[in-house]
Amino acid sequence: MSLRLRLSLILGTAFVLIWALAATWMFRDLRSQMMFSLDQRLVASARMVAGLVDRLPQPLSAQGEGTRFSADQWSIPDGIACQVSSLRGEILARSHGNADQVLDDQRTGFHDQEIEGEHWRSFTLARDDVRITTADRELEREALNRSVLLAASAPVLMALLGSIAMLWLGIGKGLAPLNRMCEALRKRDVDALEPLALKSLPSELQPLLETQNQLFLRIGRTLERERQLTGDAAHELRSPLTAIKTHLQVARMTAGLAHEQALGHAEEGADRLQRTLEQLLLLARVEGSLSFDDGAPCSAERVARLAIGDARPEDRWRVELHVPPRLPSIALGMPSTLAVQALRNLIDNALRHSPDQAPVWLTLATEPGCVCFTVRDFGPGIAAQDLEHLTQRFWRSRSSTGCGLGLAIVQAIAQRCGCTLHFDSTEDGLRVSFKVPFRPV
Amino acid sequence: MHVLLCEDDDLIASGIVAGLNAQGLNVDRVATASAAQAMLQAASFDVMVLDLGLPDEDGIKLLQRLRHKGEALPVLVLTARDSVSDRVAGLQAGADDYLLKPFDLRELCARLHTLQRRVAGRTLNMIEHGPLQHDPSTRQTWLAGQAVDLSRREQALLYALLQNRGRVLSGEQLKDSVYGFSDEVESNALNVHIHHLRRKLGNGIVETVRGLGYRLGPAQAAAQEPQ
Repeated sequence: MSLRLRLSLILGTAFVLIWALAATWMFRDLRSQMMFSLDQRLVASARMVAGLVDRLPQPLSAQGEGTRFSADQWSIPDGIACQVSSLRGEILARSHGNADQVLDDQRTGFHDQEIEGEHWRSFTLARDDVRITTADRELEREALNRSVLLAASAPVLMALLGSIAMLWLGIGKGLAPLNRMCEALRKRDVDALEPLALKSLPSELQPLLETQNQLFLRIGRTLERERQLTGDAAHELRSPLTAIKTHLQVARMTAGLAHEQALGHAEEGADRLQRTLEQLLLLARVEGSLSFDDGAPCSAERVARLAIGDARPEDRWRVELHVPPRLPSIALGMPSTLAVQALRNLIDNALRHSPDQAPVWLTLATEPGCVCFTVRDFGPGIAAQDLEHLTQRFWRSRSSTGCGLGLAIVQAIAQRCGCTLHFDSTEDGLRVSFKVPFRPV
Repeated sequence: MHVLLCEDDDLIASGIVAGLNAQGLNVDRVATASAAQAMLQAASFDVMVLDLGLPDEDGIKLLQRLRHKGEALPVLVLTARDSVSDRVAGLQAGADDYLLKPFDLRELCARLHTLQRRVAGRTLNMIEHGPLQHDPSTRQTWLAGQAVDLSRREQALLYALLQNRGRVLSGEQLKDSVYGFSDEVESNALNVHIHHLRRKLGNGIVETVRGLGYRLGPAQAAAQEPQ
């Protein structure tokens, strides 16, 4: 149901209800006022007749039967019947010629009576020796009442209909900005991400539009990043695949030494593809919501030794581990597999970027609530403008031979486990500090 | 055919070089855009195979710059970027063809031959020159219907002359076509190949233009190989 219809229905129903109540109240009032006025008319008519009777030169009763006054003579309003009778019950005068229609006048005051199937409202006044009764037909009273009510209800009904129409139009007009927004959204391409440009929106809708546009912007950026990442991943996977395919084809075309060489190269490509795939999958696991087995709680020193143990045997001796004498053996607050993985990548990176035979230092230090692993190499360091790219997926320095995922994985692990990663580059090498919180006791 | 390969990935590059060599093409490989530019100035090439993800510059930019300078060398772009917009951008920047990684070496070779054919304005791979017929893609040569057996270098020499019909090629240019830039060549090696070619296809096939270089001459069907 549209907002316009909904609002119109709610407000319209309320309008109709209130107007109906008011109208009922008014009609009831009007009716009783009307009846009262008609009754007053009966009384006034009776008094007028009584006054006339008083002023007659001889008492009406003395004139005897047969003397009649017609209603026309007395100028009594149309529809009112009048009857003058003596105390004994004989009728002295009456406005209606029909002798059978005798008004009951035994009691004074107002009465409802039925005469020959017609309902009458009568008023009887006793004065000296005569009774004066005035009456009018209920039918006429009701007809009068109805016409008054009809006259009164027509403007009320018109006003009500007018109000509802105005309500419908007004709500439509008031909701127009919302409709404009809806229309603009509906017309958009499903994949469109450019911000909505709508002029002169009311203040209530401005925040909505702004949030919406910011969302579009964010989604756009995310999509762009994902697209970039997919493109990069495709490139990283295609390159070794190309190498493998090319060398296999070369192997088919050649013989002897060239054939052997080509097969060797193809294998090298397969190794590269495997490394890249493993790193990509690890990154996806770390960034995703998959859980890692916490394993046995592991101390900082043990993690460091495990990570060094994973280095290539020919490089392992280059890594120097510096452990302070009184390092508390508190367990780390992250799965040990991830801690080892992060350190392994940092050590691998350091070994890659320092000259052959140059040492790599791995230093452990405690800080309040956490332990700080620092990996320091003696390579050329890294340019300040490249520092921010270090943890970007698939970014690698010009001289690097890695797949560009190692530090991105460390960063993802740090984010996942509440660790901090900091790079400090000087001319004599790069220092990477990786702070891991202790396991809460 | 003398090919300049611009590819930063050593493993892929070595594969392409070996594969194209095996199909009778001479390939010189560079790893960066700046090296490619230097190489283009130093030697003459028939075609360039360009990877877009170069470490020092985007391949598209290099291509645009080359085209801006009026370089007419046919360029085949070889890349892992597969979106339509990438391909359109590559072609608009002046690429003559576009091949996605991973590719088939035979397809690469066929496309390079096609590019050459187009440059020479031919509709068929077969080059005809009087009674001489040469198909560079299958590396077969016929003289008056008789198959002629040519070595790889001789084929390269013949191809360079046929591709530049009517033009004089310097000794250096011919040497680039036959050997590639990086090969160390003895000073008279080219003369040896010219001699062999004349012996197999008639004395007139290579005309010497004194002081300038060499030019394709008429093939002589009557030429008989001395026994």
